[in-house]
Amino acid sequence: MLIVLPCKKAIFLLSLLLYLGIVPACYSVRVMNKDAVPEPDPMNTSPDFYRGKLTHVLDTVIGLKLLDGDFHLIVKPCSSRGFYSFEYKVDFGGVMLSAITFGKKRKVKIKYVCIKETD
Amino acid sequence: MATTTKHEIGKWDTFHNNGPFETRVMYKTHLEGKGNMPNWLDRYNDAAKEIQRLLQEALDKKEGFRGYGSGWSMSHIAHQKHNMHFNAFMNLKKAISFDEMHTSTNYKHENLFFFQSGNVIKEISNFLFDHGKSLKATGASNGQSIAGCISTGVHGSALNVGAVQDYVIGINLLIGPGINDNVYLERDTKHALNNAFAEKINARVIRNDAMFNAALVGLGAFGFVHGVLLEAEDRFLLKRYVKRVDKNTALQLAANMDFENADFHIPGETDANGKPNRPFHYKIFINPYVEDAEYVIELIFKKPYQVNYPDPIPIIKKAIYRDLIVLFTSIAERCKRSIPKIIKLLHKSILPPVDIELTGTLAETFWDAPYQGPAFACAVGIDAANSPKALQLLIQLARNEGPVPGIYAMRFVKKSEATLAFTRFSITCMLEIDGLIWNAKNNKMISLTGFCKRTIEVLIANQIPFTLHWGKNADWSFPGLVQHMYGNDATIWKKQRSKLLTKETAALFSNGFLDDTGLSEYFD
Repeated sequence: MLIVLPCKKAIFLLSLLLYLGIVPACYSVRVMNKDAVPEPDPMNTSPDFYRGKLTHVLDTVIGLKLLDGDFHLIVKPCSSRGFYSFEYKVDFGGVMLSAITFGKKRKVKIKYVCIKETD
Repeated sequence: MATTTKHEIGKWDTFHNNGPFETRVMYKTHLEGKGNMPNWLDRYNDAAKEIQRLLQEALDKKEGFRGYGSGWSMSHIAHQKHNMHFNAFMNLKKAISFDEMHTSTNYKHENLFFFQSGNVIKEISNFLFDHGKSLKATGASNGQSIAGCISTGVHGSALNVGAVQDYVIGINLLIGPGINDNVYLERDTKHALNNAFAEKINARVIRNDAMFNAALVGLGAFGFVHGVLLEAEDRFLLKRYVKRVDKNTALQLAANMDFENADFHIPGETDANGKPNRPFHYKIFINPYVEDAEYVIELIFKKPYQVNYPDPIPIIKKAIYRDLIVLFTSIAERCKRSIPKIIKLLHKSILPPVDIELTGTLAETFWDAPYQGPAFACAVGIDAANSPKALQLLIQLARNEGPVPGIYAMRFVKKSEATLAFTRFSITCMLEIDGLIWNAKNNKMISLTGFCKRTIEVLIANQIPFTLHWGKNADWSFPGLVQHMYGNDATIWKKQRSKLLTKETAALFSNGFLDDTGLSEYFD
């Protein structure tokens, strides 16, 4: 049976479905190290959590082969000091990309701050 | 070799967006790596040499030079229009050993620690914790550099301890580019380290109470603060309560500090005779636009350290009665930071519900404060005995000539020996107002400068002696301000500075803030 909806209703329903699909798929999580001191950057004047902190951003797509299992993304800048904070972001595009490639292409968007070197 | 990078920045701003200020150059000096220079002392002396090289360059150009740490000050005290040096990467730390102590010292070597200027409070606390120690007091948060703290008089709120500078007992200053311009300064009446230590850092020793007390809150004007010797104490815990109490009781305690005989007490915080204990910290929060029969107070009691206590950070993170600006922004967020809406809300709302109790170390209790957006803070220091009267006057000012988007708080700190300490009275009440920066024209309101000026005028007109926090907003160009606040001590400070520095190096370590306040004056 074909259900024909009035135009406004159809748009509303479509928007609602799109909203329900996109909103839960877009989020970010920030993990912070309670006792750590962030590596400073006086040039970073961003008006948010990252102000004054040396911030590294990684925005890439990783590709996995058919038989690949775990994947480790190696980042260098923190050397042996570790992370002060680590934020990863999931957006709708990333979810879609992973879905249509059966998880073989993954969008990675992370932002991190290293621990200040201490002597 | 320590390496310096030079950045022609054009403009510089404080952490809280109180600028921007025209600035030609910013330098950042990184220490030589541990691998190439494993010895602590070599790296410290290497950094001193590098800073002295930069001082020579600035002197040759007849320019100014100023080190700064986290840029948390809201006044222009940290700013230098020619050369600013970002100190945060200079963060060496050292526990003092017995053989470095002066023979006539009364300090215990296990309590003494030497920190390079760029160490921030949090990393100092971590280092001390690893040695079983703690700072005696800090500000309401932990991001300030140690040199910035003492230079501007960061005070915290410890009734019986004092401000951060009050547990600093030795200072290493670089007062110019020459061999004799590396100075280790301590009090003559309270020796701490021996000459051999000073020799190791290539410094000549000055033991002089008047000069030490002047340089302690030195406003960056006594040279480049390269290292600081401080006295720590054994680790301890703090138990924090936030309560609503009758307004008159809160103000009576503010005036007399007689907690032991107060008719208000917290169950469990009494001595063997049932008398209330004296708190480590006392703070009152006040919304000036509402007549409330009760005030919110924060009381913190000192406890012996023990290992097993619940992690307080999840509670601290959610607590809003901590740093005053944290409380204010949590109120402002409800109005999406719209100034008219905030003012409207302040006129009808009492303060939010109080936080729950918690126990933690000093470092945990006064933990990270996130960036809160463009903010202002004005703080006047008055004798605690005058605090109810001063509060009433400043509430009237905010109501009659404001409103301004901020709320008041009062904290209390023991007197400092520093010549230009903000904590000048036997117990100083810090009466502060924090809030969001507003555009006076757009909102048809009194300007921040206007409000600061009126604060000074009201206190003078009512003959209430006062000081102003060096790192906060104020009308720093108010005629005769420093002389009014400090009288002869302002002259003593300038004379001690003139004794330590040459005319050329005094100019090197001056800035607009010193000129505005008249403190750059040099006595030949």
